[in-house]
Amino acid sequence: MRKRFHHLKKIRIRQDWSRWTLYNLSRLTQPNIENKTFFQQKWAAKSLTRAYHGEQVREKQWQRMFRRNLPGVVPMDHQYLARNDGSEQAAGRGSGADSKQRPRHLPPTPYMQMTFYPIERRLDTAIWRALFASSAKQARQFVVHGWVKVNGKKMIYPGYLLNPGDMFQVEPDRVMYATGARKDTTKHTRRRARKRASKPKEPKAPKLTPATKAPAITDSLKASPSVHTPTPTPPSPEELKERLMELMDETKAALETDKGIGAKDKQKLRDFKKAVRRAISAFRGETPDSFKSLEDQLAFIKARYSAAPSSSASDSPTALLDPDQEKLLTEAFNRIRDDTLSASDANPVDPKKPYATPWRPRDYMSAFAFIPRYLEVNQNVCAAVYLRHPVARPGLGEVPTPFAAETSQLAFNWYLKRR
Amino acid sequence: MRRNMYAWINGPGQVFKDPLPGSTNYMSAYDKTGNLIRKRDRAETPEQDIDKAPEEGGSEKAGAWGVEGAAADEEGAGEAVEDALEKEMRRQAGEEKRNRAEGKDDKLPPENLEDLRPFPLNKMFRSQPVLSEELREAIWARVVKDGVSVPVVSVEFGVSNERVGAVVRLKQMEKEWIGEGKTLARPYSKAVLAMLPKTPYDPKNNRRPVVHESINDLIVHPATRQQIWEPVSESRRFTRVDAGRAFDASLLPADDRIPHPELVLVERESLAGLSKDERTQLAAKRMMDEQAKREKVERRKAEEAKRMQVVPGRRWDFVFQDVSVESVGRDGRGAGGVGWRYGFPHEDRKKGQVKIPTRVEG
Repeated sequence: MRKRFHHLKKIRIRQDWSRWTLYNLSRLTQPNIENKTFFQQKWAAKSLTRAYHGEQVREKQWQRMFRRNLPGVVPMDHQYLARNDGSEQAAGRGSGADSKQRPRHLPPTPYMQMTFYPIERRLDTAIWRALFASSAKQARQFVVHGWVKVNGKKMIYPGYLLNPGDMFQVEPDRVMYATGARKDTTKHTRRRARKRASKPKEPKAPKLTPATKAPAITDSLKASPSVHTPTPTPPSPEELKERLMELMDETKAALETDKGIGAKDKQKLRDFKKAVRRAISAFRGETPDSFKSLEDQLAFIKARYSAAPSSSASDSPTALLDPDQEKLLTEAFNRIRDDTLSASDANPVDPKKPYATPWRPRDYMSAFAFIPRYLEVNQNVCAAVYLRHPVARPGLGEVPTPFAAETSQLAFNWYLKRR
Repeated sequence: MRRNMYAWINGPGQVFKDPLPGSTNYMSAYDKTGNLIRKRDRAETPEQDIDKAPEEGGSEKAGAWGVEGAAADEEGAGEAVEDALEKEMRRQAGEEKRNRAEGKDDKLPPENLEDLRPFPLNKMFRSQPVLSEELREAIWARVVKDGVSVPVVSVEFGVSNERVGAVVRLKQMEKEWIGEGKTLARPYSKAVLAMLPKTPYDPKNNRRPVVHESINDLIVHPATRQQIWEPVSESRRFTRVDAGRAFDASLLPADDRIPHPELVLVERESLAGLSKDERTQLAAKRMMDEQAKREKVERRKAEEAKRMQVVPGRRWDFVFQDVSVESVGRDGRGAGGVGWRYGFPHEDRKKGQVKIPTRVEG
C-alpha cells in the first residue's frame, strides 16, 4: 500500500477533482531539463505523465497498450474539394511561389499530446471523463461494484476497452453521490441523527385512502385478472375502448378539479396518475414492448383508435376516438410526462441519501468540468456514448492532459522501444 | 507545505470552490492572485474605448492563442468551424457591449478561447462546447418525428453523423425513462450544463443553427505519414486520385473518404452549371440508389436470419446455423473455428489470456 496518493513536495497531478490536485495544477511547471541527460529527461516526463494517465494501470499493461501510430484528422472543406481536383498543388513553378492564392494554412497538429490516447478507451477513464465520477479510481469502483452498464448489460471490468458506438450508463444515484457535495457529518449532526434513530418510532396511522371512490377502471382491472390469472388473454378492441373511455372520464374529472392546488387536490392528482398508469399498462398488453416512451405509446394508440375507416375490418367502428377524446388523451399523457419531470426536478431534502441534500455540485468541481468531444453525454439519464477514439486535429489534441507538449513528447519517446 | 496549500485554497483558490454562475470556471481564466482576467481587463478598459474592445480582444487572441487567430483569417472547413465559434463569441461580445451601453453592467463578459483552458500548461487543449438541451431535443425531433436521414440532419445542425445518432439514442432512452416514470438526474444535469460551454440553439431568432463541430473530418491515413518521391512528367495532370494511389494502392482520394461526400457532389454539380431541376433529379437518383442498396443489405440479412433455426428455450434460445469444419484453418486454431477440437486444449487458463470481453452487443 502506498503511503501517500497526493504529494505536495513531489508534484503529481492525479485524475480526480480534489483540492490537492487543484493546488498542484496551479503550481505545475515544466520539468527542468537543464543538466539532465536525455534518459533522465524522458524518465522524469514518463513518471510525471504516468502518475496522471492510467495510474491504476500496471506499467506492463500500459506498455502493451501503447501505440506509436497516433490518430489525427484534418477538417476538409467540401467547396474546396469540389472546385479543385488536387492538380493545382502541383501546378506552377517551385512550391507555388508564383501562385495567386495563399496556400491553406492550418495550425500545427499536436500529435504528441495524444500519447496516452489508448487509456481514454478504458471504461473507468471514460466514466470519469463523462463527469459521472469524481475520480478515475471512483469510476473504477463503480464498475467493479456493478453500477455500470455497457449497451444495457452489466459490465464489471474497468479495463473494458470501449468500442466506437458503445453506450455506457451509470446508476444516477451513484452519480449524484459521486459529484454531489459531501453530507455534513459534524459532531452535532451525528448526535442529532443518533437521537432521532434512538427515538422509538410511532406506528403511523394508515392514511385513509380514497378506496371508496376508487375509479371504476381499477375495479374492473382488479376483478378481471383475479378471475383468470394464469393466462391473461389480450383484451378485445371493444374492451380496450371501454377502458379508454373510462380513462377519458377520469381525465376530464381530474382536469376540472385541478383549478386550485391543495393537499386534497394533490391526493386526487396522485390517484388520477395511478389510474392513467393502470390504463396505459392495460394497453401495454396490446402495444408492442418496443413502445416504451410516452410519445410512442400515444402515437400507437392514436393510430389504432383514431379514424381509419378503410384500414382494417377488425376494428369495428365503435372502437374509434373522436377528436375531442383524442385531445383529452394527449392531455392525459402530457400530464404524466409533466408529473415525472417535476418529480425529477424536485431535489428535496432527504436525510437518507448519502450526499448533501438538496443536491449541489461538490467543491472544486467546476474547475475540472469539461467533456471531451469523443463522448456524447446525456446527463439526465447519466448515460454517454463513446463516439470514436480521440484524435489530434489542427491546433487541438483531444486527449485531456495537463502537461505541456514537450513533456508528452519526452514520455512518448520513453515508450518507443529503443531508448 | 501544507500550510502553503491551505493558504492558496483559502486565498486565490477560493474562486474554484463554487461554480461561477452563468459561466465556466477554469483555471486559465484567473490570474495568480485569483482575479478573473476578463473582468479585470474590462474594468481597466476606459469607457470611451468600448467600441474598440471586441477588435482588441480579437487581436490579443491572435497574439496569445496564435493558431486560432491565424485560422480565423484563412478559408477552409476547419477554420469555418472556428469561424462559427468566433462569430458566436463576437456576437456575445457585441451583445455585452450593448448591455454595457444601456447601463446593465451586472453580467460577466463572455469567455474567450483562452479562458476555456482547464490546464494552464497545455495550450493545445480547451473545453469545447457541448450540445445544449434545446439542441438535443431539436435533433431528436428532426430525426424521429420528421424522419429526416442522419446525414441531412448532420449537415443542417453542423453536428457529426455519429453524434447525431448518439443524441437520438440517448434522447430516446430519456423518453423511455419518462414513460416508465423513472426519476431523472435533473439537478445534476442542470448543474453540470451550467458549468460547461454550450452550443446554443435558438430557432426563434431565425438564425441558422450555430455550427457545433466540423462534420467533414478526414482521417489521416497511416500510409500518408511518410514522404515519398514520385517522379511525374510535367505534362501530366496529377490529381488527388493519383496522389492517393502513389501512397497506397487502395487509398481513395479525400473526396470519397470524408463523411459527407454528397456535399462535394452537390457543389460540383452547381459549379458545372446544372439547372435546379437537373440537380434535384440527380439528388433524387442518388437517394434512390442509396435506398436500394440499404434494402439489398436488409434483404440479405433477412435471408440469413431465415436460414438460421431458432428454438426458443426457457431462459435461452437455441440457435442452429450451418458451419463448416474447414473454418478452423490449416493448423486447427483459426479464429473462425467452431466447437471443441480434439487435441487442442482451451487456452483460457493459460498465462496472459485476457478474459475481459472485447465487445458487448446492444
